[in-house]
Amino acid sequence: MESLSDTLWDVVICGTGLQQSLLALSLSRSGKNILHIDPNEYYGGPDAAFSLQEAEAWVDRLADPSTANRGFRSASVTRPEGSTGLSFPRAYSIALSPQLIHSRSKLLSQLVSSRAYRQVEFLAVGSFFVFNPAPGPDQKPSLARIPSTREDIGFDTTIPLKGKRSLMKFLKFVQDYQSEASTEIWKPYADSPLTDFLQKHFKIDAQLQTYIIALTLSLDGKITTQDGLAILFRHLTSMGLFGLGFAAVYPKWGGISEIAQVACRAGAVGGAVYMLGTGIKTHESMGDELQLHLSNGETVKAKKLVRSSDSVGEPGISRLVAIVGSTLNGQFEALVEGAPQPAVSVIAFPSGSLHTSAGKVSEYPVHMTAHSSDTGECPVGQSILYLTTVATANSKELLKNALDAFLEAMDEDPRPQTLFELYYEQTKGAGESTKDGAIFNLPGPSLSPCFDDAVLDPVQEAWKEVLGEVDTEYMTFTDREGVTDEDEMYD
Amino acid sequence: MAEHGGSHGGIARTSRERTASERQADLDRIARYRALEDEIRTRVAASGDSAAAVDLFHLTSKLLRLNPEYYTIWNVRRRSLTSGLLSRRSAACSPSRASLSGSRTATTTPPSASSSSTSSTATPHDQPSPTAGRSGTLVDDNDGKKDAELLEGELRFTFPLLLESPKCYWLWNYRLWILGQAIERLPTAAARRMWEDELGLASKMLTKDQRNFHAWGYRRHVVNQLESPALGGSSMVEAEFAYTDRMTRANLSNFSAWHRRSKLIPRLLDERGADDLTRKSFLDQELGTVNQLLSVDPKDQSLWYYHQFLMLNLLSPVGRPTITPAFSLEDRLSYIMREIEGIKDLLESYEDEELDDDDRDAVKQIYKALLDYTLALCQLEGRQPDGQERELVAGWLRELRVLDPMRDGRWTDLERDYGLRG
Repeated sequence: MESLSDTLWDVVICGTGLQQSLLALSLSRSGKNILHIDPNEYYGGPDAAFSLQEAEAWVDRLADPSTANRGFRSASVTRPEGSTGLSFPRAYSIALSPQLIHSRSKLLSQLVSSRAYRQVEFLAVGSFFVFNPAPGPDQKPSLARIPSTREDIGFDTTIPLKGKRSLMKFLKFVQDYQSEASTEIWKPYADSPLTDFLQKHFKIDAQLQTYIIALTLSLDGKITTQDGLAILFRHLTSMGLFGLGFAAVYPKWGGISEIAQVACRAGAVGGAVYMLGTGIKTHESMGDELQLHLSNGETVKAKKLVRSSDSVGEPGISRLVAIVGSTLNGQFEALVEGAPQPAVSVIAFPSGSLHTSAGKVSEYPVHMTAHSSDTGECPVGQSILYLTTVATANSKELLKNALDAFLEAMDEDPRPQTLFELYYEQTKGAGESTKDGAIFNLPGPSLSPCFDDAVLDPVQEAWKEVLGEVDTEYMTFTDREGVTDEDEMYD
Repeated sequence: MAEHGGSHGGIARTSRERTASERQADLDRIARYRALEDEIRTRVAASGDSAAAVDLFHLTSKLLRLNPEYYTIWNVRRRSLTSGLLSRRSAACSPSRASLSGSRTATTTPPSASSSSTSSTATPHDQPSPTAGRSGTLVDDNDGKKDAELLEGELRFTFPLLLESPKCYWLWNYRLWILGQAIERLPTAAARRMWEDELGLASKMLTKDQRNFHAWGYRRHVVNQLESPALGGSSMVEAEFAYTDRMTRANLSNFSAWHRRSKLIPRLLDERGADDLTRKSFLDQELGTVNQLLSVDPKDQSLWYYHQFLMLNLLSPVGRPTITPAFSLEDRLSYIMREIEGIKDLLESYEDEELDDDDRDAVKQIYKALLDYTLALCQLEGRQPDGQERELVAGWLRELRVLDPMRDGRWTDLERDYGLRG
């Protein structure tokens, strides 16, 4: 058998996060020699999904200076005292990238055109809620469902008539926002906060503004008009695209990690060689080629190397993952006749709706997604909550408060317990891809609660780098032989 | 998917270039199809109906999979079933289930035959009495089980064909025929289960295409059967009413759902034994809902349709089932005037605004409603419009002429009706 060092690899891909995996998928029919390695013993990199044991091992590694990485830090696991009911470790799959994917997202159309979609099971993302803090000392906080369709608004009994009309006008405007006439109207507000535009042009009150901002899933809640309109447009035009009653999907068994795995599988079927537990110690250029010294002692030659940039180390987001011993009734209802039952719900805690014990009010929103056991991420009878917010000095406490407030708002008796909590901070990646001779550095993962199509552009750039000038369409393949067979009917 | 049989929802296939091998493949397929067809026709011609029923049956399966629209072959299939595969029923096929259906036979005949306007040709109820269940004691259990399997198998056979050709009348007719056979040949419980499943299928079709009025008609027919004594049924009006709730919640513009709702209301209120107070609050609730929805989307014609239905209850209650038969003239007038004021309020959100096409549509509907109801109000009171009303009406008509110049003639007629001309 040829050893790895005998081949001149067309590309060595380091890391099996989403971007690198999609690159492997995009090259899977190219016939190129691809060596795809990952220093971890698992697939997925920063987009991986962990069992409980794997999560704890990961936390330990992060705490150890010799194995820490700059992408993640301050990680800890808590198993609350007295809680019962936690199942065996492999019954859980905690996603590091639990992003929801809008139906209109380019990622999905790429998965379809590359035929990789068949191996992923997508579940519906259902209702979006806004958290309302308790109005008074003896009262409970509550969740209000955000209306985003004409029917939602029409049948809603909590929004006053004037508000409904302005909301309808705005949603109509969003659907048409790319037209010349509409652009003239919002252009002056393009870089101002969306809230300004809502207030000044549509006379939408503060309460409804929080609904709209919540729909944008803006990490810092300060999204500009231009960005906000784009994402709202995506949400509204995604509604009903793949089926009644939902605008976004979520891959079963661990979110983005599942897509990364499927993409790597496609890469392997296409002939790429995979090696886990292998990283690059050092490298040097030798004329046109790279010499890569792998951590397993071998040295390989490659024409190109694609890897992810080192994290800049700036604080990005704080995340709290909590396993809850309840099915969270009411969170996963299909509200439209004939709609599939959702497996994910979204809850936004607007800025100012939470405070620390010292009385400091939350500057940024907290976004939470609740996953039912249908996601395969926890056993039946339990749910997983993913809470995210901008990393600050108070973010850890605010996330815990948000979790408590949510469980309070669930109004279940007895109150649902958390069985397992994982906390960590993820730092900001380099914003853009960079080229360094034959080395292509992909930017870090996106920290947004919903999948950002901009993540796909550097992958296509890398693909072009590896293949050079080609005529083939990106991510467009036909089914391999034996996948479909139409002629059986005539026998 | 271009080579499968069946109608593709009426979409014409565009012609495209074929390679030599594709052309040959097509020719082969045509040859096989023709051969199949010839074989069936030969067999049927040769030995009439009792031809080796099983073989003929399987041949029809193949051909119908390729072309479910070939209705003659469906008839061949029916005949193979009745003359060979289904159990023989004795000539003395009298309804021996009188004891079970006793009390309900006196009620009005289930309007199954008359309401099936979409399933005309193959309605199975040729028998005088719809209460037939299992055909007497002359058929033993084994035959009954075999029949059940066959009939259920037929439903399973047609189901994937339906998915491909959801608008193929022959498929739906055949299913109804099979279901009718189920009523005749199977014990009530088994037949009822099949019809209940059919209701589930009708619901699925309606979620795929919410406004398919054929599907609504089909649903009506299935519900009628399920309510009938033949299937030991009882009224399903509450469930159906709740269904229209869910369908309108899913889509405000579902005209069929609103229409069905309006047709269910008289029987609903009767069965609830609603007294005058209950009827009044029912009307209040329905008006409240439709007005709430209209204020969000005054452009929607289905909503205006339902509002008009409710208004007609007040405007012309004579000679038709009414929600509130106990309303005095005064009551009705006060409701109508209140509604007219409410509709005027809808115009508020369109003042000092630039109107786009949708807005203009909405405003048009509003003016039309105001005109219709103001005129009707006057007629109800047996009088001509007074000065103030005439001014308002003249104003609305002026606006309508601008918004809808193509209906100029109609606005002229209305002006005449109001005595505003000359």
